[in-house]
Order: sequence, then C-alpha cells, then structure tokens
Amino acid sequence: MGRTRGCACGTVDFYLSEEEEGLRRAVEAFVREELSPLEPEFENAPDIFEGSRWKSRARRSEDPEIRRFTALMEELEKKAEARGLWHLDVPKQYGGLEASNVAMLAVTEELEKSSIPFELGNHVSNILYACRGEQIERFLLPCIRGEKTSAFALSEPASGSDPSMLRTTAAPDGDYFVINGTKMFPTFADVADFVQLFARLPGTEGRDGVTCFLIETGTPGYRVVRSIATIAGTEPCELVFENCRVHRSQVLGEVGKGWELNQAWLGARRFQVGIRSHGTAQRVLRVLKAEGIVPENRGSFAERIGGFLGELAALRSLTYYGAWKADRKLDARGEAAAVKLFATELLHRVIDFALEAAGPSALRKRHVLARAFRHARSRRIVEGPSEIQRHILQRILFREGAASVEIG
Amino acid sequence: MDFQLTEEERLIRDTAAQFVRRELISREGDYLRQRQPFLPPGDPPRRDLDREVRAGLEALARRAGLWLLELPEAEGGAGIGAVARALVYREFGRTILPFEPPALPGLLAGSRHAGDLASGKRSLALAFAELHRTGAPDEVSLRFREVAGGYRLGNATVELYGPPADLFLFPAREAGTRLPALFLVPRDAPGLEVEEEGDLTTDTVIARVTFRDCTVPGDCRLGYEYEVASVVAAEQLRIAARCLGIGARCLNDAIEHARNRVTFGRPLAARQAIQWMLADLSVQLRACTWLTLEAAWRADRGAPYFEAAALAKKRAARTAFEAADVAIQIHGGYGVCKELPFEGFYREARMLRLLYGREAELDRAAGERFLKGE
Repeated sequence: MGRTRGCACGTVDFYLSEEEEGLRRAVEAFVREELSPLEPEFENAPDIFEGSRWKSRARRSEDPEIRRFTALMEELEKKAEARGLWHLDVPKQYGGLEASNVAMLAVTEELEKSSIPFELGNHVSNILYACRGEQIERFLLPCIRGEKTSAFALSEPASGSDPSMLRTTAAPDGDYFVINGTKMFPTFADVADFVQLFARLPGTEGRDGVTCFLIETGTPGYRVVRSIATIAGTEPCELVFENCRVHRSQVLGEVGKGWELNQAWLGARRFQVGIRSHGTAQRVLRVLKAEGIVPENRGSFAERIGGFLGELAALRSLTYYGAWKADRKLDARGEAAAVKLFATELLHRVIDFALEAAGPSALRKRHVLARAFRHARSRRIVEGPSEIQRHILQRILFREGAASVEIG
Repeated sequence: MDFQLTEEERLIRDTAAQFVRRELISREGDYLRQRQPFLPPGDPPRRDLDREVRAGLEALARRAGLWLLELPEAEGGAGIGAVARALVYREFGRTILPFEPPALPGLLAGSRHAGDLASGKRSLALAFAELHRTGAPDEVSLRFREVAGGYRLGNATVELYGPPADLFLFPAREAGTRLPALFLVPRDAPGLEVEEEGDLTTDTVIARVTFRDCTVPGDCRLGYEYEVASVVAAEQLRIAARCLGIGARCLNDAIEHARNRVTFGRPLAARQAIQWMLADLSVQLRACTWLTLEAAWRADRGAPYFEAAALAKKRAARTAFEAADVAIQIHGGYGVCKELPFEGFYREARMLRLLYGREAELDRAAGERFLKGE
C-alpha cells in the first residue's frame, strides 16, 4: 500500500483505492507539517500526554503545564478539522466521510509515525449508531459534534472475559427499568456525559436478556465510585447502580438484544489495535537505531531486529486483510482474534528486546521505551486477553476446520 | 548428594518467612492503596513506606536476626552463609513492600565505615551501573591513580539506580594498567557530586554521581579485580533469590485466583490455557531455584561460583518476570491495577533482569567461554 494502481479486479491487490490513498496522503501531510515539528516539545510533556489519557481529567486541570499541552492538542484538533480530516469514520448521513476499515487503518498507520498521541476525532462508540428517534439528538449527535463523551460499561467484578456472566439487573417497572449492580473498568466514566451500560432482565441467563442502556452521569442511583490507577497510566473507574430508574426511551436497540451490540463494539476495534501495535513497534525499533543503541557490528542484535521487521510486515498485511474482509461484510472474527493476539504479543517481545538492548537507563519514567513498555502490558489484556483470542481461534478451528485459514 | 537444608538454614528461613508474612504482607493492602481515589490527574506520587513504619520494621528485623546478613556476628551482623542469605532474600521477595535487609557486601567488614553502616547511621549505595551490561568491569570509565596519601579519582559520571546514600561503593580502573579496583567513598568527599535526576519505572529514583578529581585516603580502596567480581556475584545471588520469591508469590496467587474465578461456567483452573501457563511457570521456577541454591552452595564451599551466580541471576530474573506476567494475565484487568502487587512485581522484575549482566551478554559470554574451551 502507499501507491494506487488501477484495480485489476479478481486478483489480489494490496494497493489502496484512489479515494483511500488520497485520504492517506492528506494525513501523511498533516503528520509531517503539524505533528512532527511538535515532537521535541512533547518529549517532555507530562505523563498524562501518553495515549489518550489527556482526554480524561486533564481537561479540567489547573496545572499550567498540563493546560499548555492541552491547548496544543486542541489547536491540532482545529487544524485537522480545517483540513477536512475530521469525522472520518462517521457515516455520511451524519455528515462524516464514512471511510472504510481499510482507510482507517491507513490513517492510523500514518498517525502512528509520530510519537504524539494525537487522534483524528471525533470517534464515536460504534454501537451508538443504533440510536433511534430522539436518542439521536440526545446522545449520538452531541458525541459526533464533540460536545459529549461516553463510557462503555460491560465488565463487572466477577465478569470480564466472559461477559455473559454479567449480573447487573434491569427490572421493568412500568415505563422504567430499575438498575442494580456494579461495573468495573469503564475508562473515562469519571468525565463522560453518559454511559453505555449492559444489564440483564430478571430471570435471564447467558446471552439472553442482555440490554443496553444509555444513562447520563448524575442520574440518581448512578455513582462513579472511584478511578483506579493502572500500569498503563489509564484510570478506569468503578460504577455502582443502586435502584437507578431509567426510562425505556434510554434502551439502545431492542430490549433483550444487547448481546449483539457488545460483540459489534469489541470486534470492530481489533484491527486498529493491530495497526497501532505495528506502529509502536516500528517506533521502538527506530529509537534503538536513532540513539545508536544497536551498533552495526553487533551481529546478534541486528539479526533479531531483522527478524522483528519480518514479523511486523506479516502483522501489517494480516491486519489489512482482516479489515478488508470486515469492509466486505465477510466473517473476519478469525482474523480479528489472530491480529489482536499476534500484534500485542509481538509488540511485547519487541519492547522487551529493546529494553534488553538499551539497558536500565531506558526505564526512566519519561523515556519513550519505558512508556511503550508500560502501555504494551495492558494491551495484552484489555478488549480481550490473549487467552480469549486463542480460545476463539481454537473454536473456529474445531468448528470450521483448516478451511477457516484458507484464503477467502 | 544431599539437598537438605541445615537446621540453622531452616531456622533462619522460617524466621524470615514468618516475618514477611506477619509484618510485611499484612501491610501490603495499605501500602498499595496509598493513592486516594479522585486525586488530581497524573501519576500518583512514588509509592514508598512511611518513615516511621520503616524504622519500626527495621527494629523488628534486627531483633529477629534478619539484618546485616553478611557481616560477622562480632560486628553485629547475622554472619550467615550464602545459602542462608539466599533463603532469606527469597522470603523478602514474596512481598511488594519495599523492605528487605540492605545489601552490605561482606568485604566491608572491618572497613572504616563498617560501624556506621552496621548501626544504620549511614547508608550504602552500589554505583555499579557500568557493569550492568556484561556483569564485568571492562566498560568502567572511572580511572584512579595513586597519589601521595591516597588515590585520585576522575573524571566520570555514573548512573545510580535507587536513592543516593551516604556512602558509595564503586569500581574504578587504574589509569594506564586498567586494573580494576573497588572503592568506598563518602558522599561528601571533595570532588564528588550527586544529582538526583528523576523517577524510574520501578518505584524508585535515578541519580547521577560525578567524580571530578576526587581525592580519597588510601583506606578507601577495598580490593582489586576479585573483590569487584565478588560484589557482583553477591548481588547476582541476592537478585536471583529475590526473584525466586517474586516467582513463588506470583505462582501462588495465580493458582489461587484460577481456582476461584469462574468464566463460561467453569473455574479458570479448568482451562487448558491457564493450566499450561501455570505448569510452564512451575517448571521454570523449580529449575532456577536449584540453580540459585547451587551457586550459593558453591560460594559457601569456597568453590568458584561467579559464573553460576550470573547464570542463576539470568534465569531467576527472567522467571520472576514471566511469573509476574502470568499472574497479571490470569488476574486480567485486576492484574494491571496498582491495588494488587503483580504490576509492581512486573516493573521490578523487568529492572532486575537488566542489572549485573543482561541476558544476551551473559549468553554470549557463556558461549564464548565454551568455544574457547574454558
């Protein structure tokens, strides 16, 4: 990818379409002209400007240093919007570009070339496109416009990898549902305007009866109990619902049909994880080179870097292949699991090697390798740990046989 | 062959185990939750023990004979052998609480500052950063020269992982001959500058020590190449032992969680993916336990043990890291939370793997030795 070519239909073609390539080039130019010049400045940014964390409570911070960097980020957002690089994956009916999964991979791949954790927004939790009627004005459009943010609450204290065990209940009571339960780890819940909450109807089990609600922060009976620090610096929250009364107009999709929504939310993100890990790993290897950590004559180090570059290339092509399948509405669950597993484990190995090459001084808190090290650890867990990916893969293998890995 | 511990070794091991369980692990919850919910954004301040708690624990540890392990009893130490010392550090490795007997290389016994170090009046830091790549002093840039009344040291800057102390123990090489030697220099020596630089990913700091024509009295030199290597080996054994403790704790807690946590209608323990992770880990842990004890046993017997100590360090640190990794993975989202000890073990073990010889360098050295027929 990186060049366009006339489509020779019916054969394998790794080039982007003309439209996709145009978008990629626009992002490439944005990175070159706007992000790269700011990189030296961001090297000394407060830790909060790692990943997407600056969008959390940092936005309310009084600290002048944090405010200065927040202002830089907001300025970048305006510049991106002025270039038409905004609402890329938002459907056309809501004024977006409706870029394909493949195009969004190309976008992220360009952004990942910079170490500045800048994203082209506004990304809207994809299940919110199931909003209907007055929900559109109340929840969806404000998110697209950037006026509101949301959090995603599925995991519970005793239900993580297996969300069908969720115990939070939604008991019907006239036009209302009464919600009781505890939710673990929704990121940004402490700053979000509303939460996408999964609860089950009384007397149901497993995937049945799961229902998704949109609940505004401040609704009586809904409390954000605390935020929890993690190795990656993110601060997921714990939410408690105690007799929280929610009107039936706040059900997203259909009552009892929430399971499909949560699966859609998780599935769509895997390929982005793949390309992000790919980009981070490339940056880590470039740091080794730029800082002269790996001298040319050290044969075994060079050999291992060469090996990693090969694996990264393999990851990249698999990621694009999966996204392409998803764009064609083909079943890409196998590719999604393989990409999530391969990408996060490979990134882990690359960073582990980089630290081995760079030595203990690279574990300085603000060192780019130390940052990558801390971030990479949680990537192997969040949005489906490696073991779940292996489980999905073995299930597909036993259900569909070796045909599941054939070329489509 | 006999793999029995002596009565004495068993006794001090049990004492240490009891101390760690009663005094340290019982305090872990409070320690890990130092951070209040909803503090301003940004990373929490570096975790550390409360000063008074630390002082109280030190008094208890001294009374239990778990302090000054390397010093002879005549100087107020425990005077225990390398195997017993490894057993003690292994117990202390089981807790995330940053508290363990300070490492005082035995060769400090009888030195000018031994009394102050033994009483706790002064603290010691090992400035061995330039040995962390290979575990050998070949890359030491600090030079010394004999001058009237002592030695002149300069000019070089070395990094220090951990808080700066009152006394620094470090290797230097003689200008010209490049012969390594070991020095003990107080922080306030003229020509020595200490600069705190910032936080490390482990809950500690990084500092820099700079020597500029620093002149020290003759008795600051504590030995030559062998002494440098013996400090390295003692540290490697200490780290290996600590890593065994980290590994044992992580394995234990991972098994416990796997028994209790239910997914898809069955406990995690019934899952092959989980069973294999734990099985692999237990094999690794068994292997490096005996590797470490054998190296310590060689040291006690007066047999050559430097290579064995390096190998034990490499494998044990690697295993501790993998054990923390497995414990995190099995605990899922809780695993990466700072309220449980595993992410802390993970960060620490990553650091330990990089100290006193990195894996590839130790592998390479071992391979080269083999090829040369040594």
